[in-house]
Parts: sequence; C-alpha cells; structure tokens
Amino acid sequence: MTGSSPSSRKASSWTRYVYLTRHAFQMELRQKNGLAGLVLFAIAAVYTCYQVAGSRADADAWNALAWVVLLFSAFNAVSKSWPDDSPEMRNYLIHVVRPHEWILARITFFCLLLCGLTCIVFLAFTLFLGTEHLSGNQGLAFFGGMQLTAMAMASLLAMIQALAVRANGGFGLIAVLGLPLIIPVILIATRYGMEILNGVAFLDTAHNLLFLATLSAGFGALGYILFPYLWSD
Amino acid sequence: MAQNIWKTAGFALIAYVLIMVFAVPMGPGLLELRETGENTNEVVLGSNALEYHLTGFGTHWSEDPEQLQVILRSKKNLALLNVIEVLDDTHARIGLSLPYSLPSKSWDVLINHPIDGTLLLENGLFLSDRFVDESIVLPKVSIVEAEPNLPFHFPYQPSILETIRNLMLHVPMWFTMFVLMGIAFVASIRQLATPKAIAEDEKAEAAVKVGLLFGLLGLTTGSVWARFTWGAWWVDDPQLNGALVTVLVYSGYMVLRNSLESERLRARLSAVYNLFAFIILVILLMVLPRFSESLHPGKGGNPGFNSYDLDSALRAAFYPAVLGWILIGIWMYRINLRFTRLNKQLR
Amino acid sequence: MIGLTPILLQTHPLEGWFFSSGKALVVLAVTLMLLVGFGIWMWRAEARLKKMERLLNPTESNKQ
Repeated sequence: MTGSSPSSRKASSWTRYVYLTRHAFQMELRQKNGLAGLVLFAIAAVYTCYQVAGSRADADAWNALAWVVLLFSAFNAVSKSWPDDSPEMRNYLIHVVRPHEWILARITFFCLLLCGLTCIVFLAFTLFLGTEHLSGNQGLAFFGGMQLTAMAMASLLAMIQALAVRANGGFGLIAVLGLPLIIPVILIATRYGMEILNGVAFLDTAHNLLFLATLSAGFGALGYILFPYLWSD
Repeated sequence: MAQNIWKTAGFALIAYVLIMVFAVPMGPGLLELRETGENTNEVVLGSNALEYHLTGFGTHWSEDPEQLQVILRSKKNLALLNVIEVLDDTHARIGLSLPYSLPSKSWDVLINHPIDGTLLLENGLFLSDRFVDESIVLPKVSIVEAEPNLPFHFPYQPSILETIRNLMLHVPMWFTMFVLMGIAFVASIRQLATPKAIAEDEKAEAAVKVGLLFGLLGLTTGSVWARFTWGAWWVDDPQLNGALVTVLVYSGYMVLRNSLESERLRARLSAVYNLFAFIILVILLMVLPRFSESLHPGKGGNPGFNSYDLDSALRAAFYPAVLGWILIGIWMYRINLRFTRLNKQLR
Repeated sequence: MIGLTPILLQTHPLEGWFFSSGKALVVLAVTLMLLVGFGIWMWRAEARLKKMERLLNPTESNKQ
C-alpha cells in the first residue's frame, strides 16, 4: 500500500475514509489501460449511436440514446474488480478499517469516477449528435441531471459490485442484479430529460432531481447499514 | 383441526368469488349517442330536428318504452330530448331539436328509466356547429331521478364492460405478492440478525418463490385484461413497467441464490439483496405510479381503482378475493417451506 | 349457498352471449373443479409432509 498506512484504530474514522478514497484513486490511476478502456467504451458507444441515428435524431431519440449510453458506460465502468476486492486484501482491511468507512470510500470513489465518465459521455454525445435540442440553460440542466443520475447509480452499484465480488459470480451478476434495481432511477432520469428537452421550465421539473437525490441518499444509507453483513465472514 | 380452518377458508372464499365472477350479471350502461345524418320526419319536432341513435348496454327499454327519458346536461343546464321510437332493449331513435345558440358544445347524456334508473354517458354528445354563448340559460326541465329496479349486478363501466370480472382475479395477485414479499423482507431482516442459522433464509426463499408465481399470474391476467380494454397485450405504462421490473428484480434474487455455494454466505448475501429488492418494489409499485400519468385505473394519482369505482356488489366479491388469495398464498408458502426443509434433511 | 341461488338463476337476454348462453356456468364449473382439485392436492401434500416429518423427527413430532 502506498502512503502512510492507517493501521491503527487510533486514527479517526474521517482519516481512514479519506485514506481509503485516495487509495482507491491511486489504484485506478495505476491501471492506465483500465481507465482508457472506460473512455474508449463510452466514446465507442456514442459513436455507434451517431452511426445509427446521426444528427437527425429527434428529441425523443436524442434523450433515449443519451441515457442508454450513460447507463451502459456506468455499468461497464464498475463491472470489474479492484485490487481491494481480493479475499487477501479484505482479510487485511477487515482488521484495520471499519466496514462503513470502506463502503463510504467506495461510494465516493464510484461517484467521482462516474461523474468524470458522465462529463466524457456528455462531451462526446454533444459533439457527435449535436446540441440542436438544447438551447440556453437547457444544456446545463440536462448535464446536471446526468450528474445526479450518475451519483444515484454510483451509490447503488457500489453495493451491487461488492455483492457480486463476494458471490464470485462474475460480472454478469452485476448486470443481472443491478439493471432491474436501477430502472426507477432511469425512469425518473429519462422523464426529467424529456421535460427539459421539451422546454419545461427547470423549476417545474426540479422535483425529479429531488427524487433522484432522495434515491441516491436512500441507496447510500442502505449500503451503509447493510455492507457490514456483506464484508464479514 | 382448528388451526387449519384458515386454509379451508381461503379456498371457500375463492370458490365463492368464482361463483360471483361467472354468475353475477352486468348492470346497464350507455354506449353511445350517434348522429344518423338524417333529418327526422316527425312533424312535431319541426324541420331542423336531427335524428340520433342511442345505444345502451344491458338496458331494458322495451319493457317500458314510454317511460324512457333522454336528457342532455351541461353544468346546470338540462334539455329533454324526444324519444321517437324504442327499437329494442338497447336501441332507440332520438330526435334532437335544440336552438342554434347554446351555452356549451359538449354535453353529458343521461337517461331515466324505471328499470335501469339514471344512467350517464359523460361527454356523450358534441355539437360542433352550434354557436356558444355561456350566458344562455335553457328553460328549466324538472326531472325525477328514477330509482333502478335491478337484481344484484356488477356496475357498468365504460370500455371495461364485462371484463370488470377480472378485477377479482388480477388485483389480488399483486396484493398476495406484496404480502409474500413482505414476509420475505421480514425474514431477511431476521436472517441478518441471526447469522449462525439459515432458518430465516429458507423462509425468505420460499416466500419469494411463491410471490414470484403470483407476480407472474398478475402479469398474465393483467396482459389479458389490457388486450381487451386497451387493445394491446402490453402497453407502455408506469404501473405495468413497475410490475415487470419487480418480477425481474426477484428473478435476480433467484439467480443470486443459485450462484452461491456456501449456505451461510448465500443466506447473508441474498438477505442483503432482498432488502434492496423490497424497497425497490415499494418505490416501483406504490410511489412512482402516483407521480406519473397512467392509463391504469385511477389514473393521475391512485395506482388502483378509486374507491368510488368500487360499488357494493364489487366489494362483496373483491374483498373476499383479496383475503382468499392471500390465505392460499400463505398456505402455498408454508408447504413450500416445509418441503424445502424436509428435502434438505433427507439429502 | 342458499343466499346465492337467486344470483345463479337470474339471466337476461342482453348479458352478452357468454353470460346469456350459460357458457359462463360451464366455465365456472370447470374452474371450481380445478380449484377444489388444487385444494385437495395441497391438503394431501401437507399431510404427506407431516407424516414424513414425524418419521424423521420422532421426538419433536408436535412441532408444526
């Protein structure tokens, strides 16, 4: 492990949480090809959409494609195991950190990872499929909705990824378990996106964002409560 | 013996419900008031009177044809139409002779009949070529609402018609699934509290299996119902999507169980997933439909039927159906649980 | 059942073909038979389960 090890329980929870988050990023950045793979997947997905729909996509199709690309890029990004997930590492970590510190660090890591990915998806998407359906502040509102959706997905998928790793079920399990659970988030997100594209005033559709935030907080809280049961032997 | 009464009661209730479903007749209703495009030849009505065809459903007009009254209503304005001829129980020729200037273009159609009572066809008549002046007040018409003189019947509802009977077979499936998933939810919580045993996990598994069966039955009955009322086996609708996704989530639960070898780890992990699954079920079936437009009965708010749609005849069949299906579901769950345990013991 | 008899007897020519021709009662009879068959099957399954449970755990036979 890099940096100063938080091996003693005397260090505060916050220190360990920050350490774990930073550690997760260091691990991710060390695997350059992993990161490149994510970006490549996202851009390839956007480019496929461009080939299929081109810049002719009407608002409905534009909205649908944007969310589909985001959804599958996000699943692709988390469908792997990190060095932290190995049984040996878990055996070590279980003695030095508390499970909720670990899951909060993992949720934070996923949030930042998926938010970064969302920026790439949004940029690539507007580059290829055009911004004719977005005018003025609509682009900003749409992008904000995407970020919030990414956060809701991150808080759910952190738990589902941990579950799949623990079940040794391969990463097909993440899709089988995660996709049905994420559908409420996607339903709300697509509705929000459609309303934004149809020119509904931001404040009239902001309740969808509130709903998304509630869902991500709920998923986060569930993960916080339930993760200790997943981690222990 | 005494503790087995509820099992017999479940089946007895469903037998009673089936008798109601297939034997209780439908009440009368109005289907349409359609223009024939002809002027009436009746001298009494004047030359500008138009002829309309009124079609009823299960009505009894030929039994007392002189007593049939056809009334138009728009807010407080009432207008009496002339019944030219009652053709048979469900068809009548109507003459319409209203002034050119009217307070509204869109009218509700009502009929009054000593057997059928007062029936309403909302927005049944639209007069597109009239001049609208909202200040016009039509001459007062005094009408006594007839009390229906009908045997025990299910209420008529537009476009649902006879398929209202499916209410007793479709809706209780979801109630039962909800109860069983609730049992699984509680069992999963208790499983997490008792990590050394797997008894609670066995309960959760049995409950989810039976709950999934009821979910699939709910989807099937719903699909058949949708075909006959909305014209398609599946329509894009929040309530339907929620139901399908719930079934998918719990199928994921079964996949998760099958991919785990160690019994205790399986008990723990599937309990964790089950808690997520139940919360998603509540969100999908109870929270989201209230926030979105829906074709499903009680659109714009309530995912089920509105309470005023359930009249006393429907209630007499619907509540026993819910209770009966839940009892049968619980019995199935208990047999499944004991079977699984016995199987494990024998292995 | 006595209270239900008047319901069973009332028919009207305009209830639609399915309900007026008495076909509904045939369907009712078949569904009732299926329901009763299912009930008996469950009852017997439970009885057999109970028997086997007694065989396997003679000491705690009064468990269920």
